[in-house]
Amino acid sequence: MAPPDFAFLTVAELARLLRQKKTSATELATYFLDRAERLGPRFNAVVTVTRERALSEAAVADREIKAGKWRGPLHGIPYGVKDLLATKDYPTTWGAEPYRQQKFDSDATVIERLGAAGAVLVAKLAMVELAGGMGYNQANASFTGPGKTPWNPNYWSGGSSSGPGAAVAAGIVPFAIGSETSGSILTPAAYCGVTGLRPTYGRVSRHGAMALAWTMDKLGPLGRSAEDCGIVLGVIAGKDPKDPSSVDRAHPLIPSPGGRGGTKWKLGIPKGADKDIQPEVAANFRAALKVLEDRLEIVEDVELPDLPYGAVAGMIIGAEGASAYDDLLKDGRLSQLTAPEDRTGGYPALALSAPDYLRALRVRRPMQRALDDFLKKFDALAVPTRNTVASPIDKPFRDGWPGVTGGANVIGPTNVVGVPGISVPNGFGVQGLPTGLSFTARAFDEGKLVSLGQLYQSRTDWHRRQPTLT
Amino acid sequence: MISRREFAEQLALMAAAPWFMEDMPEPRAPSPQAQQEPSALAKALAEGVRLRYPDRFSADDITAITRSIDNRLRQIERLYQTQLTNADEPDFVYSVYRGAD
Repeated sequence: MAPPDFAFLTVAELARLLRQKKTSATELATYFLDRAERLGPRFNAVVTVTRERALSEAAVADREIKAGKWRGPLHGIPYGVKDLLATKDYPTTWGAEPYRQQKFDSDATVIERLGAAGAVLVAKLAMVELAGGMGYNQANASFTGPGKTPWNPNYWSGGSSSGPGAAVAAGIVPFAIGSETSGSILTPAAYCGVTGLRPTYGRVSRHGAMALAWTMDKLGPLGRSAEDCGIVLGVIAGKDPKDPSSVDRAHPLIPSPGGRGGTKWKLGIPKGADKDIQPEVAANFRAALKVLEDRLEIVEDVELPDLPYGAVAGMIIGAEGASAYDDLLKDGRLSQLTAPEDRTGGYPALALSAPDYLRALRVRRPMQRALDDFLKKFDALAVPTRNTVASPIDKPFRDGWPGVTGGANVIGPTNVVGVPGISVPNGFGVQGLPTGLSFTARAFDEGKLVSLGQLYQSRTDWHRRQPTLT
Repeated sequence: MISRREFAEQLALMAAAPWFMEDMPEPRAPSPQAQQEPSALAKALAEGVRLRYPDRFSADDITAITRSIDNRLRQIERLYQTQLTNADEPDFVYSVYRGAD
């Protein structure tokens, strides 16, 4: 009899097997622990395999399930977390040599919530050192080495949630938690051919997570499908007294657009979204819109308000990052970082003035209103998640795909103001590398994004494709 | 053709957060701005960083830090082009604390 093959099943499918007693939490934990140990090093995706904790949590889940105590859709489901979430009894390294031995005496709120839902932590996953806060410009920017996409390990997995992207894509975990300050969930989701959901700022507690920029950091899931990401978000979202920026706001499931005689949703396509980008990325984007066009009203060439998004983001990340790591700047341990450019990348921010930082925060408020006024004209915006496939791991990003200069910048502005986004796989480009389709919506409209992702994935099978791992 | 404003913003972003730059179009042709000498203010501010940590940086490090500061200064110019009034507050709210009696 062939061994069970759980690697590429969705959360919903694994939960069904558990409920039907066709597997156990312990069997699933053992299966994914073995994959983490075997495949993690191949893609530089895993920092620590949490075997003891996983088997303990799985044993509890099995006892509860056997006793008829069903905690919900994540009960007994293995998962991994980016190694910037505090985890009791295991190192939390932030991907950075200076913190390689760092330990905390409690779990991050997100891990507490997943534990309360019965999920089983099997691995702490690799990341770009300090979530990229010191300005890395190439893939080799972590003590675990460059993250590699399982679709072609000569190419980057994306960052800074490099491990979560690669681990989900390689079937090392069914889902993972990543973080995004500006692109760090959506980028690895696109480069690894998985689904990634960046929640609204404040939707998920940051307590116990490494800070890069307090006013821009978001935690969210990467998984096999939009449905899975919606399930995980439903568990980790909500007010947390330990994070004053967290909010108590419902995360309703939204019915698909245009179904059962319902009205079509309006989808805005930013001007230049598929101009002067890699041809395969552009073609996949247009093909994806074609898949959805009977349920959506597509409005071409929409233009975001002309505001200094980049200037505000640069100032906020620079100033908050320099403050968050002021100990490393002061004692010189930045020199221990892996990427040479990260060893000096924090110092220029010391020349920023407090009034200039506050100016950025003041500009951000009218920016939020202007972007919300713009976004409310649509149910969502759609763009190719990235304008190319993944970069080669042995070149600076700028030299990865020379000559590709176009696309619409949506990741940046939407991260500055903190609205949600989702990336779903929508095909393949050069070198057999995946491409991504992103939707963005108003604050707290994650339900719409999940619904759009589900609709697309109900009509395509890109999210079901598996890399060849032999 | 990329506008002067767009180019300045991209340069600024490149210095501040290169991963953020990944979703920004790159300049299509080398610009004179890209090679221009950093401003006197950038050099002075970089010297301030060097004086803060006098034994820490090589000449190449200082060059990189100076260029990054120069780019940030251009970024700051953009922040002051958005009109604000005295009543426009930063997007955070300070709240007073009172512990248990």
